[in-house]
Amino acid sequence: MPGGENPRDRWGWKIDTVVLREEVKSKLKEIGKADLVIGIPSFNNEDTIAHVVRAAQAGVAKYFPEMTTVLVNSDGGSTDDTKNIVENTLIDDFQPLLIPRRRDLFSKIITPYHGIPGKGSAFRTVFEIARQLDVKACAVVDSDLRSITPEWIDLLIRPVLEEEFDFINPYYLRHKYDGTITNSIVFPMTSALYGKRIRQPIGGDFGFSGRMAGFYLSKDVWETDVARFGIDIWMTTTAVANGFKVCQSFLGAKIHAAKDPGSDLSAMLTQVVGSVFQLMEEYEGTWKQVNGAAPVPLFGFQFAVGLEPVNVNTDRMIHMFGAGMQELGELWARILEPATMDLLNSVRGSDPFNLDDELWTRIIYDYAVAWHRRIMNRDHIMRTLTPLYLGKVASLVLELAESDSGEVERRLESLCDVFERYKPYLIDRWKR
Amino acid sequence: MEAFIEKVLLNPMEKFLETAAAFIPNMLTGLFLLILGLVVAWFVKLFMVRFLRMIQVDNLFEKSGAQGALRNLGIGDSLSGLIGRFSYWTVVLIFLTMALDALKTPAVEEFLARFFLYLPNVFVAAFVVVIGYLVGNFLGRATLIASVNANLPFGSFLARFVKITVYILTATMALELLGIGKDTVLVAFAIVFGGIVLAFAIAFGLGAQDAARRYLEKKLEEKERKPDDIEHI
Repeated sequence: MPGGENPRDRWGWKIDTVVLREEVKSKLKEIGKADLVIGIPSFNNEDTIAHVVRAAQAGVAKYFPEMTTVLVNSDGGSTDDTKNIVENTLIDDFQPLLIPRRRDLFSKIITPYHGIPGKGSAFRTVFEIARQLDVKACAVVDSDLRSITPEWIDLLIRPVLEEEFDFINPYYLRHKYDGTITNSIVFPMTSALYGKRIRQPIGGDFGFSGRMAGFYLSKDVWETDVARFGIDIWMTTTAVANGFKVCQSFLGAKIHAAKDPGSDLSAMLTQVVGSVFQLMEEYEGTWKQVNGAAPVPLFGFQFAVGLEPVNVNTDRMIHMFGAGMQELGELWARILEPATMDLLNSVRGSDPFNLDDELWTRIIYDYAVAWHRRIMNRDHIMRTLTPLYLGKVASLVLELAESDSGEVERRLESLCDVFERYKPYLIDRWKR
Repeated sequence: MEAFIEKVLLNPMEKFLETAAAFIPNMLTGLFLLILGLVVAWFVKLFMVRFLRMIQVDNLFEKSGAQGALRNLGIGDSLSGLIGRFSYWTVVLIFLTMALDALKTPAVEEFLARFFLYLPNVFVAAFVVVIGYLVGNFLGRATLIASVNANLPFGSFLARFVKITVYILTATMALELLGIGKDTVLVAFAIVFGGIVLAFAIAFGLGAQDAARRYLEKKLEEKERKPDDIEHI
């Protein structure tokens, strides 16, 4: 290589070659070039992955019958039957689906990924295969989905092929109490920082162009937390902050395998919000220039479905908020501005319990600044956010108890407005 | 009689006066060096802090994230402040050594020789104390946050317990390094630590049985209620 520089792909992005297995390399040689790649990251998903593979296969057969498609299963070392199931899952009879039989079914590449264990490393392998096959568009879908339909493939791919979008975010129907980290932090933050009202920036199932995959590959993040857990927000933010054309597709309800009930909320919050703050440091020059936020095109036929009721114990949340006030007050006083702390002190006695949007916005912005300045261990900063977050969730649940989905959406839009209005406060504190 | 008085009283007095006459200039020199040392140390500290602030070392340190790392460990001082304080005590120590050396007494000279041989142990012990202090603060804070997030009662009590345990362990190690009552300190630590744990166990079992019962009842009630089904992401 002249000058020891990395080679560049056809869009000019730097290529840092990903290690692929010999059998994958020969398969890629055999395939040569493809139009589409469908990526499915997996780790011990034998119960659900067959449905995802069938949906992808039917989606390609129904909506893109003339396109050469490769399904890539990027596996994290499953010890169950996941790989065999992917290998052997095929729709033999397309007739009940009213899909004419294709001459050739799509190719499959089933490979363990290299690198740090995590969804990001799995995606990196998908991006690399997409690059080597010089594809037009890709879609990545989770392997634990129970509600995926063939239409998802169409909705994640077609905006790239026909409307020249580079990145397609999912838009799911969710219960009004679900996705609270997204609703109360990630959605308004992404909107205020980067000026795009992307409703679910950490959805998990995405569509993107071959050019976008090449751009992702050129980024030197594969030894960081992005490889472990931060890939979803990283993909969305990278696309938005670098000026790629972004849209959303309505996918209906997202139902997936039950999560581990022991999964730690505090760790989840630390990972997701920490990733948002990390990206703020990387794109400081970009978000400081953005004023206001624009809506993002939404494709797909929108419909309503009955969602299972969600149990919420607001008393417990308010109790944990109170315990946080009592025990963590000293740490919060180091993280939050004195004025924010004064407002927070008045919340405890509020009846009905109410942590308003202005205060919540100040809290999140103060946390971003504290994280940026490393006023204490970053993990400790983030973990002290949990009782405050539960306070905000309790406040929203109480407020939205009688609201329908339209009212909830309008309420969240108004939260975004407040985040946007308070952005000068963030910029001022950030540079101080 | 005169010879006796001269031998018993005058000669020793004469000797004492000679020794004192020889020692007083040394003592004054020593005192002067000590005062000079304190003044010089104060100027050195002032100069170091101002110079470092002028070249914006604190800002650079803050931007590099190292200041944050120190704050993580419970040290709130700026880098210039820390270096200033270190310079001050280094100068004081140098002048103190010179002052003691100026006394030119065999006992002090021997003490100085021993002191310099012992000094590495002091530095290592001081290092252990500093690390122990930082680790104690860090673990105490981590315990506090984790217990609040896990909805456990007595979070600050647990945090303090962890912090103090680390401090005691550190003090034990430091004393061991200084060679002070080696085995005694270790045994004392084991007894004290074991005693504390036992005392808490008994206190919780007997004194706080009502509180324990109320806590367990509350937990069981909470379990009987349907848990939160919220998907946070």
